[in-house]
Amino acid sequence: MRKYVKIYLPFTLNALKRQMAYKGAFYLFILVSLFSSFISYYLWKAIYTSSDQATLGGLTQEEMVVYVFMVYVTSSIVMSSISNYVSEDVVKGTVAMNLIKPIDYRMSLIAMAAGNMIYRFLVPSVAIWIGLEIYKVTALGLRPVTAVEVLLYLLSSIMSFLIYVLFDFCFGMVAFFTTYIFGMMLAEEALLGFLTGQLIPISFFPSAVQRVFDFLPFSSMVYTPIMIYLGKYTGRTAGFMLFRQAAWVVILYVAGGLIWKRVTKRLVVLGG
Amino acid sequence: MIEVKHISKDFVTPKKYPGLKGAVKGLFSNEKIVKTAVDDISFEIQKGEIVGYIGSNGAGKSTTIKMMTGILSPTRGECLVDGIDPNKRRKENAQNIGVVFGQRTQLWWDLPLSESFTVLKEIYNVSDSTYAERMEFLNRVLEMQDFFDRPVRTLSLGQRMRADLGAALLHNPKVLYLDEPTIGLDLIVKDNIREAIKEINERYQTTVVLTTHDIGDIEELCNRIIVIDEGKKIYDGSLAALKETYGTKRRVSMEIRQPEKVAKLHLASLLNVREEECSVNYEKESNTLSVTFDKHKIQVPQLLTAVMSVMDIKDVQIQETELSQIVKEIYSHGIMEG
Ligand SMILES: Nc1ncnc2c1ncn2[C@@H]1O[C@H](COP(=O)(O)OP(=O)(O)OP(=O)(O)O)[C@@H](O)[C@H]1O
Ligand SMILES: [Mg+2]
Repeated sequence: MRKYVKIYLPFTLNALKRQMAYKGAFYLFILVSLFSSFISYYLWKAIYTSSDQATLGGLTQEEMVVYVFMVYVTSSIVMSSISNYVSEDVVKGTVAMNLIKPIDYRMSLIAMAAGNMIYRFLVPSVAIWIGLEIYKVTALGLRPVTAVEVLLYLLSSIMSFLIYVLFDFCFGMVAFFTTYIFGMMLAEEALLGFLTGQLIPISFFPSAVQRVFDFLPFSSMVYTPIMIYLGKYTGRTAGFMLFRQAAWVVILYVAGGLIWKRVTKRLVVLGG
Repeated sequence: MIEVKHISKDFVTPKKYPGLKGAVKGLFSNEKIVKTAVDDISFEIQKGEIVGYIGSNGAGKSTTIKMMTGILSPTRGECLVDGIDPNKRRKENAQNIGVVFGQRTQLWWDLPLSESFTVLKEIYNVSDSTYAERMEFLNRVLEMQDFFDRPVRTLSLGQRMRADLGAALLHNPKVLYLDEPTIGLDLIVKDNIREAIKEINERYQTTVVLTTHDIGDIEELCNRIIVIDEGKKIYDGSLAALKETYGTKRRVSMEIRQPEKVAKLHLASLLNVREEECSVNYEKESNTLSVTFDKHKIQVPQLLTAVMSVMDIKDVQIQETELSQIVKEIYSHGIMEG
């Protein structure tokens, strides 16, 4: 374990340093994604005002506000893409440079993603989160979040991160066969927006669809931690949800390992 | 140290048709083109050898190197590096080898060079004391201290290449693969790099496999060369033997006074050899007659006497075949098939 930390920690630190080196692009990214949070905030506001029911999909208007901004906080932590690293490595042939070293390619990618995650968490997310919490208690009149909820939320988010990264690794493997996955990455993002609950809470879908989602890893990526944060999952339900997340981590880890084994057999390193 | 046994690599690419119509056709057709980049190559390399792996563009050099380093799996055959199959036990093999691909870098582009070395130290599990000792040695032979704290992306090509070589050597690998390590370098940096490779080889008995298009690299470094062409091995042996076998051609160029007499010159019969054993070529503009022949068959004075019996000569130049000449001929399929 210590050896692992020693080998892969530098990758995490490097990702952090790189983020700092390209601050400008990063602030732009924050701005754009916050902007879309505000759009969906106003959209939901309009929907709730025009509806004669107080709760939609099990959420009150106030909870929906929290939901919308927690989507922002959660996805900026969780969705630290590695398929773009993979495609870059494939196209430029730099994947070879990872393969000539005695390291695990996937672990090095996850370590880098963790660096990005830490940076995003520290720079915008914590501040927005605290701001949201203050707004929630003072303006929306909801109860403050409990320490247990925060802890469970963080635990769940870390699992979400692992699920997302491991899934994205499997997805990134496509790059080895098409050598061009930019378009597919856009499609992935759009699809995940729906399936993870980023755009619409999963509870809004018809129950049949929801049952299908139960068998997919996506709702575990964003929806689950937010539900925990909102106090919708408590006690045994929360335990079960965390267990389900852990199961997805294991499944995707094994699947990614198998895919990687097959890919390296057929791997074509470009250039030279 | 390295055993390559009947290794082959096929690249399969979908067939492409020209034009827009072709692109549409390509979508529906399933035709594949198989390109055998490396075709049944075998060789063995002993510990401490420096082997030049040469061949023309697209001959399959890089492909072979990639298979030996474990980043490309062979279609057929196998290879063992220090008893390890790099394809099955990639990570273990990686601990034993150092690789420099001249065209790209293994350093972290955005980070200062020093950080790349720190990361590599952890990856290869190099102890602090060994690290200090290695760095001292590498800094001496590669002179990296001037740019050690600069981000890699700001280094010049020559600096980056030295840094890459240093990075490949930090963990004292048993085998060093160099794919065009001197590409695009000036003469002085080239010299430095060659010296460094030599010194490392002598000091640590590091086995070196090197591909290059620079004949100087080969003459300075390699005691053995392997030549491949279109994926097939066509020569494997010492440099001296190659020169001995194929470098026996000599060429004499003479500036002559009476061009009209060239037609009357029947050199082969004058010298008592067959036509193909001395090829004559006359160039009108420079008024030069050049004769290419085997130096074991014909002596220069003999040739000159024969020519002077027909016409007068103003000036004479004698050229030995150089290695570059030999290599050029091998590449253009001149020597091996004849
Ligand atoms: N990924 C690939 N797909 C299809 N063909 C490939 C691929 N990689 C290499 N080739 C082909 O295999 C052959 C050998 O390529 P290789 O890169 O080994 O040549 P090389 O000897 O290193 O040449 P150079 O001196 O130009 O670097 C070439 O004809 C090349 O076009
Ligand atoms: Mg090459």
